[in-house]
Amino acid sequence: MIDVLIFFIGASLLLYVLLGGSDYGAGIIELLPAGRLREKQKHVINEAMGPVWEANHMWLILIVVILFMGFPVIFTTLMVALHLPMLALLLGIVVRGAAFTFRHYDAIQDAGSQRVYTWLFGLSSLWTAVWLGIIAASLNRGIIDPEAAGIWEAYVAPWWGPYPLAVGVFVACIFVFLAGIYLIAETTDEGLARRFRRVAAVANCLVIASGGLVFAASLGERESLPAAFLESPARWGTVVLATLLFVVLWASVARRRGWLTRVIAGGQVGLILAGWLLLYAPNAVTTAAGPLSFYEQAAPEATLRQLVLALLIGSAFIFPSLWFLLRVFKMGRPER
Amino acid sequence: MAFSLGFHIIFAAIGMTMPFFMSAAHWLYLKRGDEDCLRLTKMWMKGVAILFAVGAVSGTVLSFELGLLWPGFMRHAGAIFGMPFSWEGTAFFLEAVAIGLFLYGWGRMNRWVHWATGLVVGLSGFASGVFVVAANAWMNAPAGFDWVDGQAINVDPVAAMFNRAWLHQSLHMQLAALQAVGFAVGGIHAVLWLRGRAPGLNLKAFKIAMTFGAAAAIAQPFAGHFAGQRVAELQPAKLAAMEGHFVTGTRAPLYIGGIPDVESRTMRWGVPLPGLLSFVAHDDFDAEVIGLDRFPEEDWPPVVVVHVAFQIMVAIGTVMAALGVLFFLFWRKGRFPRWFLWLLGGAIPLGMIAIEAGWVVTEVGRQPWIIYGIMRTEDSVTPVPGMVYHFWLFLVLYVSLALTTVWLLRRQIMAAQDERGRSSGGGAS
Repeated sequence: MIDVLIFFIGASLLLYVLLGGSDYGAGIIELLPAGRLREKQKHVINEAMGPVWEANHMWLILIVVILFMGFPVIFTTLMVALHLPMLALLLGIVVRGAAFTFRHYDAIQDAGSQRVYTWLFGLSSLWTAVWLGIIAASLNRGIIDPEAAGIWEAYVAPWWGPYPLAVGVFVACIFVFLAGIYLIAETTDEGLARRFRRVAAVANCLVIASGGLVFAASLGERESLPAAFLESPARWGTVVLATLLFVVLWASVARRRGWLTRVIAGGQVGLILAGWLLLYAPNAVTTAAGPLSFYEQAAPEATLRQLVLALLIGSAFIFPSLWFLLRVFKMGRPER
Repeated sequence: MAFSLGFHIIFAAIGMTMPFFMSAAHWLYLKRGDEDCLRLTKMWMKGVAILFAVGAVSGTVLSFELGLLWPGFMRHAGAIFGMPFSWEGTAFFLEAVAIGLFLYGWGRMNRWVHWATGLVVGLSGFASGVFVVAANAWMNAPAGFDWVDGQAINVDPVAAMFNRAWLHQSLHMQLAALQAVGFAVGGIHAVLWLRGRAPGLNLKAFKIAMTFGAAAAIAQPFAGHFAGQRVAELQPAKLAAMEGHFVTGTRAPLYIGGIPDVESRTMRWGVPLPGLLSFVAHDDFDAEVIGLDRFPEEDWPPVVVVHVAFQIMVAIGTVMAALGVLFFLFWRKGRFPRWFLWLLGGAIPLGMIAIEAGWVVTEVGRQPWIIYGIMRTEDSVTPVPGMVYHFWLFLVLYVSLALTTVWLLRRQIMAAQDERGRSSGGGAS
């Protein structure tokens, strides 16, 4: 039962990072100067995200629901210790979703309000991406301490420091990279496609640079990442493979293979995610007192059974409908 | 949290009922080729899009807030009453997919399939509502576990979900949503019609929305009565507070109006109807109704708040049921008098006020418990300091969101009134 749930959490996390991540990245791209391509770019992003962003966002809710029903102790520990970053994340999610929808559905599309929406949408996308990274980095630092008395020790120290910030920047770069790759095949406009390729290329370099930054920042942590990754070939293998795939990726971009390019980029991010999960599995959180493992902190068997049942039946509805959504809106586009 | 919920409940109510109005208009268009109905469908669709997005993000906030604000509660309760949430998540997911298909699916698929995706939006939203209310009902009628030494054992999530309160609470809430939104939307179009704007469009909109609203308003008193009887059985302290019933007794009176005086344990300025409370609670004019005197005072909910909120809800419900009957009468006669339409214009906010009042009754009426009879609210709250800031942050956020949404919907409606209105909205149009 627990393995099935871990699988669902992992799969949801992957899908959220890939799909939701490219939506965040699209918002960040809109912050960058675009000159006369601005309006066209906005239109393409509206069209690309509009039908799917809400579904993409659901993966996060799914993770939250699995955690609080299946692993309530892990859930509450996180919500107490990471209260502030979670708040920041929520603020970003609300503003981003609202700004994007409002921009699209405002009946009177005057330049002034459109500029405000776009600006809010972009800024909150960047903000949310960085906080997602900060939260992810804080899970297993071993600083979370449910017994801590002081405000600083209990609520700030767990996510404070250069390492979580570096991960936040890293995540934002990954999202921009994903969005750039994704958007290339969403437009028929050659100028815009060129722009998205350029964005993806710059983001590619930034992902590698900020990845290095994460490794450097982790040297000040209790357990440094380079040491942890070198412990097993599976761990460092994922990172090396993800980096090597960049060569294949750009060959595919050059040949204008839209879907292949997306799959490769998705695979790279999946590998990075897998490498990160391999560092800590099966522990969800590491507190000062020791790790909280999914296996030890699960809800009673009866609850898990119902949760798995709900997820399986839900999947039977959700996956076909998602596939239909994809088929209607994303298939049959010109390859680019 | 209370504020987030108070906000979310309105958006959720609109979000789960508007798709039905939209689908009805869409069906009329597909069957009769009525252009007005097509414009109406698209107008409501944009409203649904805005409200779904706001509802989705405020719902996300709530799912986090359960843990952010009530870790003590969630630590024990998550495993027990999480089941409706897992189903709600599923329904919500389906809704998100369906809404993407409907909004952007014009001309991209078979038109009846397209119509069906709109209906799925409504159905899955409605199902979400039932699941969430079932979770709330569990807090009122905890079931599916044994509470031993401050720990829950023998957890049975199925029994927790289908607790003794889920049916009456869900029924009451879903009807309330239909009725409140039906009246609000119908009222807005009635006023627009009176002002002579796009008469064909507004009259049809008015009829569609009010058909839902009036039918629900007429059914609601029965659902409310059923709910009252269940509450009398499950939470006598809540019922006693609702009715300002201090002393246990037979042939208990039902008060109309009045302010309970907690000091002297009497009801002031209320009009008593002897025996009626006994009848409402137990179908018998001579039945005994348990009063607040059977409970230690520290277990009393805030009596004045609960009673006043309950009176507001019932008064509004009665008015709306009467208006609902009039609506069908006038429709049969073939025309709606102007005074009646103005009256409905005045009734636009009534249903929403009643929903908030009813929510106060059920939540405040459960105090001081968060899980009735098991865990007190004060034991469940987060240890994180400075929750005042949390409150203000979300207050400011939600108020600005609410204002923006209202402003946007206004712009939507105004644009749709203009016959040659710019039909903007990007890919949707």
